[in-house]
Amino acid sequence: MSLYSSCTSAASSAGSSVSSTTKTSEIDCLLAGAGYRVRSSDLRHVAQRLERLDAAMVNSPAEVSQLASDVVHYNPSDIASWVDSLLSEFNQTASLPSDLPELPELVVGPVLNQTVLAEDAWTDHDAPQHQQLNNQFPVMTAMEEDSGIRLVHVLLTCAESVQRGDLAFAGSLIEDMQSLLARVNTSCGIGKVAGYFIDALSLRIFTPQGVGFGGGVGLDAAYENEVLYHHFYEACPYLKFAHFTANQAILEAFDGHDCVHVVDFNLMHGLQWPALIQALALRPGGPPALRLTGIGPPSPDGRDSLREVGLRLSELARSVNVLFSFRGVAASRLEDVKPWMLQVRPKEAVAVNSIMQLHRLLGSEPSRNSPMEMVLGWIRNLNPKIMTVIEQEANHNQPGFLDRFTEALYYYSTMFDSLEACTLQPEKALAEIYIQREICNVVCCEGSARVERHEPLAKWRVRLGQAGFRPLHLGSNAFKQASMLLTLFSAEGYCVEEKEGCLTLGWHSRPLIAASAWEALALPDANSPATAPGIFVNPHSNPPVNSL
Amino acid sequence: MAGINEVNRNESKMVVPLNTWVLISNFKLAYNLLRRPDGTFNRHLAEFLDRKVPANATPVDGVFSFDVFINRSTSLLSRIYRPAHGEEPQINIADLEKPVTAEVVPVIIFFHGGSFAHSSANSTIYDTLCRRLVGICKAVVVSVNYRRAPENRYPCAYDDGWAALNWVNSRTWLQSKDSKVHIYLAGDSSGGNIVHHVALQAVESNIEVLGNILLNPMFGGEERTESEKRFDGKYFVTIRDRDWYWRAFLPEGEDRDHPACNPFGPKGKILEGIKFPKSLVVVAGLDLIQDWQLDYVKGLEKAGQKVKLLYLEKATIGFYLLPNNNHFYTVMDEISAFVDSNC
Repeated sequence: MSLYSSCTSAASSAGSSVSSTTKTSEIDCLLAGAGYRVRSSDLRHVAQRLERLDAAMVNSPAEVSQLASDVVHYNPSDIASWVDSLLSEFNQTASLPSDLPELPELVVGPVLNQTVLAEDAWTDHDAPQHQQLNNQFPVMTAMEEDSGIRLVHVLLTCAESVQRGDLAFAGSLIEDMQSLLARVNTSCGIGKVAGYFIDALSLRIFTPQGVGFGGGVGLDAAYENEVLYHHFYEACPYLKFAHFTANQAILEAFDGHDCVHVVDFNLMHGLQWPALIQALALRPGGPPALRLTGIGPPSPDGRDSLREVGLRLSELARSVNVLFSFRGVAASRLEDVKPWMLQVRPKEAVAVNSIMQLHRLLGSEPSRNSPMEMVLGWIRNLNPKIMTVIEQEANHNQPGFLDRFTEALYYYSTMFDSLEACTLQPEKALAEIYIQREICNVVCCEGSARVERHEPLAKWRVRLGQAGFRPLHLGSNAFKQASMLLTLFSAEGYCVEEKEGCLTLGWHSRPLIAASAWEALALPDANSPATAPGIFVNPHSNPPVNSL
Repeated sequence: MAGINEVNRNESKMVVPLNTWVLISNFKLAYNLLRRPDGTFNRHLAEFLDRKVPANATPVDGVFSFDVFINRSTSLLSRIYRPAHGEEPQINIADLEKPVTAEVVPVIIFFHGGSFAHSSANSTIYDTLCRRLVGICKAVVVSVNYRRAPENRYPCAYDDGWAALNWVNSRTWLQSKDSKVHIYLAGDSSGGNIVHHVALQAVESNIEVLGNILLNPMFGGEERTESEKRFDGKYFVTIRDRDWYWRAFLPEGEDRDHPACNPFGPKGKILEGIKFPKSLVVVAGLDLIQDWQLDYVKGLEKAGQKVKLLYLEKATIGFYLLPNNNHFYTVMDEISAFVDSNC
């Protein structure tokens, strides 16, 4: 009866070769345009399941409220699996409380069961305006607005000249921009961000290449970076979200294991781990024995900062009766770490935790035995129970300078915008310096000095898929907890979104940081049953600038 | 009870393409989980389940988008969709608010549906719909992320719509060559309802709106109409869920004859003699609230207002979400003609 048949399209992976374990599948492209992923050949089957679920819901209304409140939902884009997971709930007899441990209130703040925190906590702009944390946006005069726009124009023209190699002209534009800067408010908004980008461009134009900026190279830089990182952690929720989401996933992955080992690719002050230690302490059935291996740069002047952090964490673990041991691995670069340094033991469940570290492995040219391939290879060989990956959701690794510059301008403008709401000092000021260093690295550096090579989630999916990892979906419980964390601790405007099993945190509908979890696929083995993870690439994905 | 529902499910499957059935049934079941009997709403789960897309300044099929603040202090955002001209592979940040260049550029202020409680301006289904509107009307589309019920009841959504109208009206970069902004209001479901009320306010404040487009607009009343009784539960929608949404949106204690819900009912405003915009009202023949929608059209006619009714006999709710049926293309053509004729 329908005159227009559903169109289908083969999902294609990005450019290069497809891993032998993936299949291209015919996805209904109209549903894809609505944000859903259903194979055309599955439509009828999915429809039947939907009918079944509808009937089940009609027949047991009491179960419905439970489906809403207690059940964890995953990856709503995959309608088939979503419906099936709900249907399986109806097959259980009595209602069960969630068996999975949740992060304890004393660390996180918001209580995770409904009776204390009302279910109708709000998100974003739906929240009644009790507190106006972000009410100090000055009204721009028309002239300021004009100057702001002119500034952006000149910035982009300057970047374009740099790309063309016309440094003389670019240099002259720097002067123009500085006088334009004088006419805008540089304490916030476009003026502030523009200022940083003008500085970065100046450095690039007037300083000889090869000098690293913001790369954290050198021992003193490492220490400074730690301090700045800590203030960035305090001033805005991006790192808290990263830790929180990763910990929840790790906790779930460690369920049922008595010996667990977390490998942290960037220990810093170990801010992530107290929460996990306390959650493990409260696990029903008792805590596992926990090993933590923290990787970080070598410390200057004889200090062993890794060990100091380890000691503090040990104290905490002891105070909550968690068997704990720590090992520090000092390495300037992630590619210098060798798996034997981690001393992973045979029976332990391993979690690899990478907060904004993997992108540093991306060299300018993809090649055989690239650092990325090497590192992902040994991670996979560790056979970790889970690998948590948090990365900036941005496309800052494009070869063309102008593209990169423009993307960074958008991205960091949004990030600075979100920081406006922070009133803590000196946290805010130091957080800005932290971000500024990133900007510098993206704009000024090339080759191995440029370590801030951010790439969007869509690219990471492909890369990790090809390296033999399969996504572990982050569910509605993690989403809800993250949302509640934000409403309690941060200004309005931050928003968590679910995207095919991953969670992103953004500012006003622009995602800025993406959290995902992965497990290693079984290494190919003649005896193991064929697994077809069916890694989908969303044909409708919207990376900010270039497509995959 | 179960037997009747089975019949109902079979009926709805016969009138829509399979992928549409899957899409709307998925919404229906998800929404059932979100509405609590006590009138509260599971907002976290709603946000988790809703499929969204970010704005994209890179033109896709000739359209690019970006988000702006209409009102920072209430966090009122809108997503602006513009046609891309020439072969720019990417729009510069500075060009987002570049003045429109054509002689006449219609600006469509769009209010997404969701029965006042669901969806957002960045919901994928609405992002897709707005992009299509840009193409067929050669217009700029402004999709308003209005505050939703039950957290924000009447009149919040209308206030946000009003704020958006004023904002659009005062953007110099949206002016056509005659230095005026050519404004149309459009919306589906609750968005259609918002269109009516914002237009009313516009008239009272002398802001010119060139036309209203109401797609399956959400209206109701205390009375149970023929269509409600006849179609209850048959095509994805039930009287019970409609009642829930009105209870969530209307001020506490008010009934469905409140003018927000029933503009031509006992408490409605008189529209005779005022310069109300011309209206295009699309009614789906299998929508259970069609009697209210038809009453709305009659009300406009009786008040001497210009209105065109597009009645699509075999259409269900949400038919305009996927371009896989005749009704979809009929409506798009009508909208295109409606926005074109005045210019």
